[in-house]
Amino acid sequence: MEAEEPLIRVRGLTKRYTRPGGRRGGGTVLAVADVDLTIARGTDLALVGESGSGKSTLARCLARLEEPTGGGIWFEGADILALHGRRLRPFRERVQLILQDSATALDPRLRGADIISEPLQVLGRGNRRERRRRALELMEAVGLPAACADRLPLELSGGQRQRLAIARALAVQPRLLILDEAFTGLDVSIQAQIASLLQDLRRRHGLTYLYISHDLPLMARLADEMAIMFQGRIVEQGDTARIIAEPAHPHTQALLAAVASLPAAATP
Amino acid sequence: MTRLARRAGQGLLLLAGVSVLSFVLIDLAPGDFFAEMRLDPRIEPATLQALRSRYGLDRPLPERYLRWLGSLATGELGYSFAYGGPVGPLLWPRARNTLVLTATATVLAWALAVPLGAWWATRRGGPVDAVLAGLTATLLAVPDLVLVLGLLLLAVRTGWLPAGGMVSVGHEQMLWGEGMRDLASHLVLPVTALVLGALPVLTRYVRASVAETLRAPFVRAARAHGIPELRILLHHALPAAANPLISLFGLSLAGLLSMSLLVEVVTSWPGLGPLLLEAILARDVYLVLGPVLASTLLLLAGNLLADALLLATDPRIRSEDA
Amino acid sequence: MKGRLAVGLALAALATVHLAALCAGFLAPYAPLEQTRALPYAPPTRLHFVDAEGRFHLRPFVYAIADPSGAGEAYQEDRRQPYPLRFLVPAVDATGAATTGKRLLGVDEPARVFLLGTDGLGRDQLSRLLHGARISLLAGLLATVLSLGLGWLLGTLAGFYGHGLDAVLMRSAELFLALPWLYLLFAVRAALPLHIAPAQAFLLLVLVIGLVDWARPARLVRGVVLSARERSYVLAARGFGASDFHLIRRHIAPQTLGLLLTQAALLVPQYILAEVTLSFLGLGVSEPVPSWGNMLAALQRYHVLTSYWWMWVPGLALVPVFLAYYALAEALRRRAGPAAL
Repeated sequence: MEAEEPLIRVRGLTKRYTRPGGRRGGGTVLAVADVDLTIARGTDLALVGESGSGKSTLARCLARLEEPTGGGIWFEGADILALHGRRLRPFRERVQLILQDSATALDPRLRGADIISEPLQVLGRGNRRERRRRALELMEAVGLPAACADRLPLELSGGQRQRLAIARALAVQPRLLILDEAFTGLDVSIQAQIASLLQDLRRRHGLTYLYISHDLPLMARLADEMAIMFQGRIVEQGDTARIIAEPAHPHTQALLAAVASLPAAATP
Repeated sequence: MTRLARRAGQGLLLLAGVSVLSFVLIDLAPGDFFAEMRLDPRIEPATLQALRSRYGLDRPLPERYLRWLGSLATGELGYSFAYGGPVGPLLWPRARNTLVLTATATVLAWALAVPLGAWWATRRGGPVDAVLAGLTATLLAVPDLVLVLGLLLLAVRTGWLPAGGMVSVGHEQMLWGEGMRDLASHLVLPVTALVLGALPVLTRYVRASVAETLRAPFVRAARAHGIPELRILLHHALPAAANPLISLFGLSLAGLLSMSLLVEVVTSWPGLGPLLLEAILARDVYLVLGPVLASTLLLLAGNLLADALLLATDPRIRSEDA
Repeated sequence: MKGRLAVGLALAALATVHLAALCAGFLAPYAPLEQTRALPYAPPTRLHFVDAEGRFHLRPFVYAIADPSGAGEAYQEDRRQPYPLRFLVPAVDATGAATTGKRLLGVDEPARVFLLGTDGLGRDQLSRLLHGARISLLAGLLATVLSLGLGWLLGTLAGFYGHGLDAVLMRSAELFLALPWLYLLFAVRAALPLHIAPAQAFLLLVLVIGLVDWARPARLVRGVVLSARERSYVLAARGFGASDFHLIRRHIAPQTLGLLLTQAALLVPQYILAEVTLSFLGLGVSEPVPSWGNMLAALQRYHVLTSYWWMWVPGLALVPVFLAYYALAEALRRRAGPAAL
């Protein structure tokens, strides 16, 4: 197997927040502390941790929505922390972030088709007609009825909104999709539908996923590899099956113990 | 306590900032007090130049400002050309008169607005609601200028009230009681104008605040316990509404002070308003500064008072300070 | 439903008033500067339908009036000669020379149709009211556009970019808000030349009123922008490389619209009043150009205040205008929800 450049390589990533000094005095919060991570092409990774573990912050750093305090991020070998503004554009097309809570991730004033085609508009792709056509194509690809094109987000169900968010992310033909708590807040049956949609899209478009979640059992089913995060650090990383079977770190063991039942092995 | 001290400090800084802003603004105006004199052919330009030098009008701006600031220590606050004397002694009696007027109007306006607004809040949807809504809307739509002129007309026509001024002729000879009554009778006209102008907005705010607290869960719980409505209103709803209302106090004071400028001029009440107008018309630069800053000081003091009240009544804020 | 009716009525009333102001040249029977020295403080001309012989006429007519004492106190109608009201008469300017265009109403010389009486210089109050409306109402509108425009720009910049810019703008706003508004207005007015030609005065007045009051709208807009900026969809849009301009235009600015409209309906009456107050005190638009403010200045004399009720009309005319704007503001506020307060 040739040593292919990993999709994402992260070394020593750190993100520190300083709280403004109030009456109680300021302080710093280390949201992400010295994180090393590698995502190979075609291998889905799940970042699992409790709330406050820093996983969302890490995701935002990876998507270049936040500026890390230290460390490096390479995408397909290129140092993306050195890129800004216009030069960052090719990266933005290749990596897309789907945020949790689709209800707030979509502008409540825009209609379905406009939401999907906004990335195309920002990147200056095609005229209005072409963008609409592409939006309808994408809607079909994610299994949304064409009627949703002219609906407002609040007129859609949670599952439909999530599909809309996915369609929007696909508009720019990304390589890596970061899904931040994409399943939280959805009914279990809807979760299953979205999960199978994602698998389908993955096969058809050659996507790689980075899942971010606190739902360990679900992640075990979906991801090939897992990284457990605790207080800003990655405490355990590796093949999903191995982690479930032989958790090495006490935190992982605690997480597993808290879950009622677990599948025997992860299904790719 | 430290919170208040900090606010007072901020207020002083603001006052200083306003003084700089005003000084620069007024300096922008073309011409000065002596410009009118320039038109008189009998006065030589050299005389005017000498006059300007004498009063330091030809110095650079920062120097003039600092000199003026220095004169604060002696209470002079610059020199008034129109009156031929320092500004300070002219300013304080006027500021006092404005304070008397606006303080009376504020107290009266709130004393009327709070019970009226609170009562209104309990009468949602009834005929009282509609009547009060209509009355406040109508009163709101009458401009302050028309209000004060209308009251003036009433005073002149009926002769019940003195039509302007602060005191009658011969006030100094009056005994204290009689003097007070005289002052009071002169206060009625301008205070009524101010109160009528402020009442619609205040009453509506009180009603909105009280209505909101009446909807709060703790009030509903009190009702469920069978506590009579009036007691709920007085002991539970009003104190809870106190916070937003006291915050409103500062805003209402700003509006009242603004209105008082006009009312004072129209009713010849010897306050800061007429002095400012005179000063502008005479291009008397230091005299313009005086009332502008005095009114700012009054507003800042009023806001500080509101802060103090807030601190005293809201236990939550007090514990933050600890 | 009642809300819709109120808004409709308010808008209709405002449209009527503004249309009348725009068509002042046509609707006004006389030129605003035209004086009839012989008829100072003449009461409103009465329209008659029945003449001295008891005959009914469909077309109303007026009688010439004169004051035998010459003091302008006791006007009497000269019933010998009726002058019928004429419609669409050729227009005549202040000096009596013929100009192009027509006027809606008129009567033959030497009678006059002063539907709202005259002032101390014998100028028709109705004509001055209509022309003055242009100044006063327009000043309010333009100043509002200026104030909201500037306030929106600064508030959006402060809220969106935060940090230093925000701090500077908010401190400046505090400074401007530390003064009672009318005192601030006067202070800025003091910075301008005392005597300004009426044409320039209008423009300067609009500038002063509009630019001075940027602080309150700016703070409100900033609040909205601050909360909008944090929304997930803004973050998502950043995620596909949207520029700041795109974010503001597409996602943030539309949220400020409700606030702006409500504020506009509240500010216009306030600014109209500012122009009226300044002109009333001689610091605004000066004679002889009519503005509702300087027309009311005549009421500062007790004699005029008590005897000539028609001189009050500019002030009374403000009431329905204000009512309409406040009704509009109330309806807009209700639609936008409590967030727009």
